[in-house]
Amino acid sequence: MFMKLKEKEKVRESLATMAQYLTTHFMISTVENEYLINIEKGIVTSIQEGPFVMPSYIFKLTASKDEWLKFLQPTPQPGSHDIIAMLRRKVLKFEGDLHPLMSHLLYFKLLLASLRPVEIKNEN
Amino acid sequence: MKIEKEPISGQYGKFKIDGISHRIYWEEAGQGIPLVCLHTAGSDGRQYRALLNDKKILEKFRVLVFDMPWHGKSSPPENSSIGNYKLSTDLYISQILSFIDGLELVKPVVMGCSIGGRIILHLAIHFPEKFRALIGLQSAGHLDPYYDINWLHRQDVHGGEVCGGIAYGLMAPTSPEKEKFETMWHYMQGGPGIFKGDLFFYKYDGNIGNEIKKIDNSKCPIYLLTGEYDYSATPEETKSLADTIGIEMVKMKNVGHFPMSENPEEFLKYLHPVLEKIN
Repeated sequence: MFMKLKEKEKVRESLATMAQYLTTHFMISTVENEYLINIEKGIVTSIQEGPFVMPSYIFKLTASKDEWLKFLQPTPQPGSHDIIAMLRRKVLKFEGDLHPLMSHLLYFKLLLASLRPVEIKNEN
Repeated sequence: MKIEKEPISGQYGKFKIDGISHRIYWEEAGQGIPLVCLHTAGSDGRQYRALLNDKKILEKFRVLVFDMPWHGKSSPPENSSIGNYKLSTDLYISQILSFIDGLELVKPVVMGCSIGGRIILHLAIHFPEKFRALIGLQSAGHLDPYYDINWLHRQDVHGGEVCGGIAYGLMAPTSPEKEKFETMWHYMQGGPGIFKGDLFFYKYDGNIGNEIKKIDNSKCPIYLLTGEYDYSATPEETKSLADTIGIEMVKMKNVGHFPMSENPEEFLKYLHPVLEKIN
């Protein structure tokens, strides 16, 4: 589900300017699956899919697969459109040292939102 | 070169708020019934740029928007220091009444969003006779904290970046990116600790419990409109508030926490019918 971040090179390049001093690694969990994502100077340099024996990470975002799928809809429904909205509904948990996340909040929001399929609008 | 001029004029004035002189900036446009608009926490009056340009509204209303002290182009009061700003209910009410009295506005309509949507409830409880009508956008009687607001003011986190990031998520994914960006930008320009200080009112001091039952809609009509994508003051919370007061609420589709700023075109479709009822 999150491995596609590798395919978003253009998005990553444009977002990197928002996070040029950010080097971190974090985990996204869907409970069944885990993903370790490494960021260097704002660029996603690697993504590994679990299971892991001894994963090391700075912070972790956990939500069920269903909730992540709702978040990743092209036009998500109210309450699923933003990670803080999910936090408010208590379906997403933030854990660990949140400094990299909160100091680059918009960057992480846009990075995750870049996984949403782009809707093709039919003008006719 | 010809420019496209807007009908808005901006002014500064000295207002006494709780006996202390404050240099306040406000913008206005239109003629007729005074309509005072209150911006959200950590932002400023630019959020109402579309209303101040809406010909239909300006034919009937004199729209006025002031920047609260510490916000936008209004100054902090004298002898201020960084890190101590906290908005209380009493101070917020004093700011609004000072502005109205200072400009000698008679029986104005007051419309507020978010913290503004909360304070109109306090105005309805304590001063219903002063207002022609009160309009609450994203109103809820109370809000329990759902994230740690200390992140909004830390010396190791850029305040503009984090406040902008928080504001961005409160908007609907369907709102136009241009307007969303501008709305977020206002947040990015806020001073250190100001958004957090406003939230002291929104999440603690300004919470209303059973006093909501004191609101008498016959003394002053109240209108409540809430965007469906708002997770701060949700439509369900506004509905519960409206049920307690005994009025209807309007759920606005395709907008979030900042309807007048993030998607003015959509918002005005809902606001026009409300303003038509006010005479």
